[in-house]
Amino acid sequence: MGKHNLQLTRRLLLAFLAVWLVFTLFPLYFMLVTSLKPVDEINRMVPTFWPETMQVGNYAGIFADPGSLQSIVDSLIVSSANTVLSLFLGTLAGYALARYLRGPVGENLAFFILSQRMFPPVAILIPMFFLFDATPWGADSHISLIILYLVFNMPLATWLMMVFFRDTPRELEEAAYLDGYRPFRAFFKVTLPLVFPGMISVAMLCWIFAWNEYLFANILTGTSVKTFPVHIPTFTQGSQTLWNLVMAFSLVAMLPPVILFIVLRRYMVRGLSLGVVKG
Amino acid sequence: MANLELIDICKGFAEPVIDRLSLTVEKGEFFVVVGPSGIGKTTLLRCVAGLESLDAGRVVIDGKDLTRVPPYQRKVAMTFESYALYPHLTVFDNIASPLKARGLPKAEIAQRVGEVARLLRIDQLLGRRPHEVSGGQKQRTALGRTLVAKPDVFLLDEPISHLDAKIRHELRRQFHELEELRQVATIYVTHDYAEALSLGDRVGVMGPGGLQQIGPPREVFDRPGTLFVARHLGQPSINAFDGVLEENGGGLQVRSETGFALPVAQAHAGRLRDRNEREITVGIRPQFIDVVDAGVAADGRFLFDARVDLHEALGANGVLIAKADGQSLSVITSTSAAFEPDEPVRLAVDPNRFHYFSADLGHNVLL
Repeated sequence: MGKHNLQLTRRLLLAFLAVWLVFTLFPLYFMLVTSLKPVDEINRMVPTFWPETMQVGNYAGIFADPGSLQSIVDSLIVSSANTVLSLFLGTLAGYALARYLRGPVGENLAFFILSQRMFPPVAILIPMFFLFDATPWGADSHISLIILYLVFNMPLATWLMMVFFRDTPRELEEAAYLDGYRPFRAFFKVTLPLVFPGMISVAMLCWIFAWNEYLFANILTGTSVKTFPVHIPTFTQGSQTLWNLVMAFSLVAMLPPVILFIVLRRYMVRGLSLGVVKG
Repeated sequence: MANLELIDICKGFAEPVIDRLSLTVEKGEFFVVVGPSGIGKTTLLRCVAGLESLDAGRVVIDGKDLTRVPPYQRKVAMTFESYALYPHLTVFDNIASPLKARGLPKAEIAQRVGEVARLLRIDQLLGRRPHEVSGGQKQRTALGRTLVAKPDVFLLDEPISHLDAKIRHELRRQFHELEELRQVATIYVTHDYAEALSLGDRVGVMGPGGLQQIGPPREVFDRPGTLFVARHLGQPSINAFDGVLEENGGGLQVRSETGFALPVAQAHAGRLRDRNEREITVGIRPQFIDVVDAGVAADGRFLFDARVDLHEALGANGVLIAKADGQSLSVITSTSAAFEPDEPVRLAVDPNRFHYFSADLGHNVLL
């Protein structure tokens, strides 16, 4: 009886996973297929599920526009610089909140910082444009996006790092003091290695947010700096969107985060389970 | 030369924990602080280590006032109750940590870590991480980290209390034998009175506010200064009950609220009469109450009847809880003894073994 039930549960679970896989993988599949079709095939009313004419040249086509590669480079600059900055500031702030600001003041401050992620970003869109436009480097620059994305990524980084630091026993640092390490060295020797997997997870979350961000990038930048989400809409010809090129470019733009995920997967899992398994 | 001096130290958090505690631990002395959980033993160690700043008082090591010196500049080594081993480092790197902090050359670090590891018999574990070794091995790794540093003062916080009995015994012997621990001032904290009496050159019993009594183990056990000290040392705990002193045909006797009466020894009677206080607390250690056969001669002892409440056979001995005239008493019995609940027993006590504590403050009135 019990065994049968278990098998039934297992089968239902597998069926659910199968359906779920179709829902998640089909869009990717359709992106890939579309990216390989010629223009006249993409607009057919009954879409083809496999290209009648395979047009691999689409991938070369997107890079005929020098702006395509440049947009990927711009995105890499903005995401990476913002991630480094978010992680650096978030780690320091998180450590301070975890160690030195316990009690009601710290709790409220920590919540205040997190709450900045809760308002609708569009509410500050226009003010932000004027604000950055007034700076010496102007709104249409790498640095404006790098700083602007801190508004979203730093609260996240601070909050998560605070939680990770709270989960590392203070006694380890104290043991390091007694070994003869000054507080700064003790932090690097003991505490930082313990939260390192957490830092990798935070870095991934920050990087992906900055990588995919469209709204602010579209309003603030677009001429001298153009990140890839802003570049995508330029694949048009007259009144028609070249979906094959859009899909090809989107797939290319997916590669960096996918590669990052694969390389750092080991740390990701450990980081997200920090605090679950201690010591 | 005194190695560690604590002068009138005070430390409190929401409530005062340590109130004007003074203590001198000589070079080579193994000083054990014993007291119930949560009384401030760890706080005392943390004050010496510099992990807590003092509210008042001074910490002097080797004649130098270190009160305002941060922990990383004091030559004080401490083991934590949680061991506080660095989970991401191997046993070798954990032990080597204090040497690396001082920037010693690699060869010397390897040599000194090797020596300490051999001494503690963990040399085959040096490549492992803390989570891959047993509790006793973790403890020895933590001890190794403190030994390797050659500090001026050792602070050991409940180093063996979380281990199982067998390893505890083995490590206890190791503490007796470790030469390194016998060359500097050591403060060893425990809640286990047997550990304290076994290990300490001197023992300090910590109660609310600070050390209630300091002395050699035997003396603290035999001549407890307060009821608190008497209660804390010994398992099962000392039998103590409140009573009143009254004359009884030329002799003095003490009678509990329930009506249980015991004679006062001649040697004690004078002192108790002089105090002019009728209220008193009597303390009788369970090992000084004997179960005797009916008809046995008193032989200077006082005999009385009781009824068995409970008997626990513990292997090496047994603990009998019996009630005499409404007063419950613990008695340590021999291995072979067996009792049934409600069985009548005859008990014998030597009144010369009694302790008397003042009813208000709990001071030993015979000292």
